[in-house]
Amino acid sequence: MDYLISGFIGAFKLLLSGDAETYSAVITTIAISSLSIVLSLIAGIPFGFLLGYFNFAGKRQVRAVVDTLLALPTVVVGLLVYAFISRRGPLGELGLLFTILGVALAQTILITPIVVSLTATAVESLDKRLGMTLATLGARGGQLAIATILEARYAVLIAAVTAYGRAISEVGISMMIGGNIKWHTRTITTAIALETGKGEFSMGIALGIILLSLALIANSLLIGLKRRN
Amino acid sequence: MADPALLRAEDVEFSYGDQFSLHVPEFIIPERSVIGFVGPNGSGKSTFLRVLAFLVKPHKGSIFFSDDAVSFDNDEITRHVTFLPQDPYLLKRSVFENVAYGLRVRHDHKNLGERVRGVLRQVGLSPDLFAERQWHELSGGEAQRVALASRLILRPKLLILDEPTANVDRESALLIKDAIVLLRREYDTALVIASHDILWLSGVAERIDKMVQGRIAGYVSENVLPGPWSRKSGELWSRMLPDGQVVRATAPPSENASALLSPRDIILSLKDPEGLSARNALRGHVTAIAMEETRESLTVTATVSNLSLHCRLTVQAVRELGILPGSSVFVIFKATSLRWNERDSS
Repeated sequence: MDYLISGFIGAFKLLLSGDAETYSAVITTIAISSLSIVLSLIAGIPFGFLLGYFNFAGKRQVRAVVDTLLALPTVVVGLLVYAFISRRGPLGELGLLFTILGVALAQTILITPIVVSLTATAVESLDKRLGMTLATLGARGGQLAIATILEARYAVLIAAVTAYGRAISEVGISMMIGGNIKWHTRTITTAIALETGKGEFSMGIALGIILLSLALIANSLLIGLKRRN
Repeated sequence: MADPALLRAEDVEFSYGDQFSLHVPEFIIPERSVIGFVGPNGSGKSTFLRVLAFLVKPHKGSIFFSDDAVSFDNDEITRHVTFLPQDPYLLKRSVFENVAYGLRVRHDHKNLGERVRGVLRQVGLSPDLFAERQWHELSGGEAQRVALASRLILRPKLLILDEPTANVDRESALLIKDAIVLLRREYDTALVIASHDILWLSGVAERIDKMVQGRIAGYVSENVLPGPWSRKSGELWSRMLPDGQVVRATAPPSENASALLSPRDIILSLKDPEGLSARNALRGHVTAIAMEETRESLTVTATVSNLSLHCRLTVQAVRELGILPGSSVFVIFKATSLRWNERDSS
């Protein structure tokens, strides 16, 4: 037990002293997750709206595919993206492997189904009178879509927070696409995996505390949003 | 000369499977007109109103607006028509934003604040108290009036209202009536209003159509006798007409209540039936005789002072009376035949 206690003491020392290596991993994690959440919202909200708002042939099948992708293993996404962006891959020339952008793009693939599915559910569960109200007040086309998403804004924010939580806590993609490069692509999760393997519990625990704090903030936000919704 | 048609529906059909079908061969809404609609639940009123409001595309038929055939995606025309459902939905925004929404989507931002405040005042909501309130901070009557305000601000050429007073208190019903009457007077808006409240409807509509099982089944000819009433003796009340004749009634719920009188409860006589107690015998003259669709009876319209009363008689009875338009008659009905509107009791 002593090594655990000394690990916690060491962790607080690292956090309080502003250890550069620790905070580098934190900043990288936030940068990657923020980029991936922005990209996933840009792609996921319109698609989620279309899936939730319109009825079309094959809608149930599309929905089933999207819902299946919610359980996408991170290592499978990592593998697929790696195959595309590695030097031999069709997108190898872009030089995305072992970059923050590469990791963010792969995370976008991981979390976009969450945004799509939860947005579609949010739009589907809106009051049936909304569409008629907007139409009779004169809203058309894009105005209808924007107003509908605004009506579902709390549920869409819940989707965003849920997706963000998934992005900051994943390790497979960050490890495979980022390569866990110190000062560059090392994230909280990859650093914990590495440091634990080396027996460096202090840094692992320090990063674990930060990760848990971020998760706590995201969940508090989620609870508040669910209450408003 | 009658006002030209603002909207004309021709051969409109709509159905929900085999359960319900709507068929209206022709329906005309003249400019500046106020048309009432009554009918039992499930008769197709709401569906037909949604068709007229360009919200539901009919399975068959055409709609013409100012003589132009309307395509449902023609925003230029469809934006002239707006619809207030029985249970309106408010956007999850402030009252101000709800009312301003229709103008915002039209990119009409000129004097927006003042226009919103003006229309809120029109529906009896103080802008200072209500403009910044959120959608969930309103009572049912207030929400209905906010929804009405969001339509009034658009100054539509045609406003369609489905049971606008069904779920509101009496004060809200009066304010809604005042607001739509003002809209028509100030901006020449035509109105189509469906309501179960025939007295309220009689106070605003020039014509009331009846819808039964997806068909327009003629006009409603229920007679309305407005107050004020004064106590005569005991339970007997009366109302003096401008020509000095007196209408007797049982105790009304309030002095200004309006009474309904069924055309079937009226008989006509050429002679004064003297010696009747608690019974009305009013001198008037026949102004119209019309054959009903069933061809089994006639609707005879008699004018008594400033009242126009419809009574339903058999063809045989009219023949025996020998009456024609212009004939002098006594319009007879019991004081107990007058029915009072429950809304007037509050």
